[in-house]
Amino acid sequence: MRKSLYIPILVLAALLLAFAPVQAQDEVTEIRFMNWWDASREVLMLELIARFEAENPDIRVINEVQPWDNRAELVSTAIASTTPPHIIMTNRQETFKFAGLGLIRPIDEFVADAGLDLGVFYDGEIGNQYWAGELYALPLPTAGGLTGMFFYNKGMLAEAGMDAPPATWQELEAAAQAINVGDAMGIDVLGVTVGSDASQFINWLYTNNGRYVDDLGRTLMFNSPEGVETLEWMIRFTNDVNGGVENMIDFHQGADFTAGDHPWYRNELAFNAINTSHFNHMRANAPDFFADTDRWGVMMRPYNGDNPDAQTAGVVGYSSSGGWGYTIPVVHTPELQAAAYRFAEFLGANEQGGCIFLFAQGRPSPVRACNEDPAYYDANPYWDVVLEGLGNDVAVSITPVQGQLHDILNVRIEEAFFGVLGAEDALNLAAEEMQGILDEFWSGLDG
Amino acid sequence: MAEALPRIPEESRERSRLSSLAYRYRHWVGFLFIGPWLLSLLLFDIMPFFANLYLSFTDYSVGLVTPNWVGLDNYIEIFTEDRVFAKSVYNTVYYMLFSVPLRLVLAFAFALLLNARLRGMQMFRTIFYLPSVVPVVATSIIFIGLLNTRYGVINQFLVLVGLDPVRWLSRPEWIKPSLVIMSLWGFGGQMVIFLAGLQSIPGELYEAVSIDGGNSWHRLRHITVPLMTPTIFFNLIIGIIGSFQVFTQVFVLITATGGPLQAGLVYMINVYNNAFAYFRKGYAAALSVILFVIILVFTVIMVRSSDRWVFYGDDER
Repeated sequence: MRKSLYIPILVLAALLLAFAPVQAQDEVTEIRFMNWWDASREVLMLELIARFEAENPDIRVINEVQPWDNRAELVSTAIASTTPPHIIMTNRQETFKFAGLGLIRPIDEFVADAGLDLGVFYDGEIGNQYWAGELYALPLPTAGGLTGMFFYNKGMLAEAGMDAPPATWQELEAAAQAINVGDAMGIDVLGVTVGSDASQFINWLYTNNGRYVDDLGRTLMFNSPEGVETLEWMIRFTNDVNGGVENMIDFHQGADFTAGDHPWYRNELAFNAINTSHFNHMRANAPDFFADTDRWGVMMRPYNGDNPDAQTAGVVGYSSSGGWGYTIPVVHTPELQAAAYRFAEFLGANEQGGCIFLFAQGRPSPVRACNEDPAYYDANPYWDVVLEGLGNDVAVSITPVQGQLHDILNVRIEEAFFGVLGAEDALNLAAEEMQGILDEFWSGLDG
Repeated sequence: MAEALPRIPEESRERSRLSSLAYRYRHWVGFLFIGPWLLSLLLFDIMPFFANLYLSFTDYSVGLVTPNWVGLDNYIEIFTEDRVFAKSVYNTVYYMLFSVPLRLVLAFAFALLLNARLRGMQMFRTIFYLPSVVPVVATSIIFIGLLNTRYGVINQFLVLVGLDPVRWLSRPEWIKPSLVIMSLWGFGGQMVIFLAGLQSIPGELYEAVSIDGGNSWHRLRHITVPLMTPTIFFNLIIGIIGSFQVFTQVFVLITATGGPLQAGLVYMINVYNNAFAYFRKGYAAALSVILFVIILVFTVIMVRSSDRWVFYGDDER
């Protein structure tokens, strides 16, 4: 054969091999799982998938871990695709939005066919996954345990002359006053930041007996006297104790708790607001620190000691990082949807699934029975505090327009922190604009 | 009697006929070569443009759903109700008005310096060009460190020369200047283009100035700058278009919130938030159409004005 034909023949053969139909393995259904379990959780998830595949040899799960930074566009693009992943990890706002548009399928039928007793979940946890009376996902991890707790540095507290963590706003202020080290251009050692954004405002609001919205999710309530008092306290704390909101922005610039690059690890921050994922991140990034419970502890979020009706509380479902569920796009065939549901059930309800996955991270499960495992006390030295925190959580009703509402509130609160508006004006202006959007949403839905 | 012309063989006549056809349709060969590019232009530019235009008149949210036609509602809302739109336009125009001229001046100045025929210029050319090829995300992360209030190199330099440090990323009034400073990092691309233009200027023109008693300032003002106006014009247009579309560096440096008081919330960040955070893709499409019109208007103004100041070296202009 002429040598000049060798190359074209090789190229042609390579093309044929590349595009040749892959002979499918007998009866194995492949499903793609889009999720945000990155960093040290990816390994745990692969182990979970291996356990699932061992129990379900007819299904193969492809783990598609996504970066957190551009999460919103990744989810949006995925669900808009004609070939989306077969199961997508979505937050509450996304679940509600996709459900309202008919992009994901209700799983009540699957649950009934599988005979799954939804009573295994905490009421609030499974309740977060309903939209318009239909169930769209099983929860994992807990929507709770995200805002009601703080890590505190025992050594820094002792150096400031305190032997117990603060329980009230007033005690927190005193502790921060004693701990802060800095000058006109910034803070080197910080007691605590109370935050300057809408999420933190809502978190503190509930520790002052305030509410974000009514139970139906239709009427905003944050601009109450309790809300104004809360925001005024946050502003006063930030300006008088911490030297201004600029100090807080600079102090946390570039900090990443998940990557181990955070003032907490360097003993430069005495009180760090956490969610339940922080236990695993800390154990992964600073195992010696984690193991030494003489150095750190966990406390409840302080409440307003001047308000007799106030108590510690956590908020469930306000922020975009809560109420995760595993949703199934409708575009796939019934067989693929069924396979996706089997994996979702393993994730959410199976002891070998979500239970072990969350246990390995020292964080609670939305399944009651999982949290009663005494081994948790070995995995997480503050397990009793975590359970107490879960018990203090208050659920917040949100709608698919929550993203817009949050940003409006965020801007107004920032304006209050930078002195553009007073606290009361900021909250009232935000409430007015947000209520308009909320009313429009509900009228469209009701109509 | 004249000898009969030799008869052209049938095969040769056939070949000749085919050659004639190929010659007549030779332009189709060109189209064949640019076919893949034409196809990608159609699929990834033209069709999405018209799809986006259509979506801008709908309430499209997300997913494979049929959007509802809402006419001009999105545009009306943008111009009458959207506070963030006005803010994003202001922030973007501010960024454009400062970053484009500064980058042009910096690139031109360095190009003039690098045009000198001295040893080591190749190395300096590479050094000054390298930052422009660093990925934008990496650049943004670098600048988070450089602009740090307490430990950033820029503030340490300011303190060294007796100035007060600046809260680059925590005070609203310094957010936009921070973005402008970061934009100057990538001047190397324009510098290389300017350098190519400078090296095409005939040397005898400079000799003529010298002969007439002119100095370097005269050479710059009467030879270099006029002959470089086409290159300046090109870099100006590209710079303006790019600055209106700034996104990645802002997203990485100060996130999609736009920083304190949304001081850095540029136009494309607003489009991104509406499209992906609020699930209002129809509205975001309308925003992007408006941006297209803004850029088009700016470009037309620049092109029309170029008659007055761009010298192409021909007598007809």
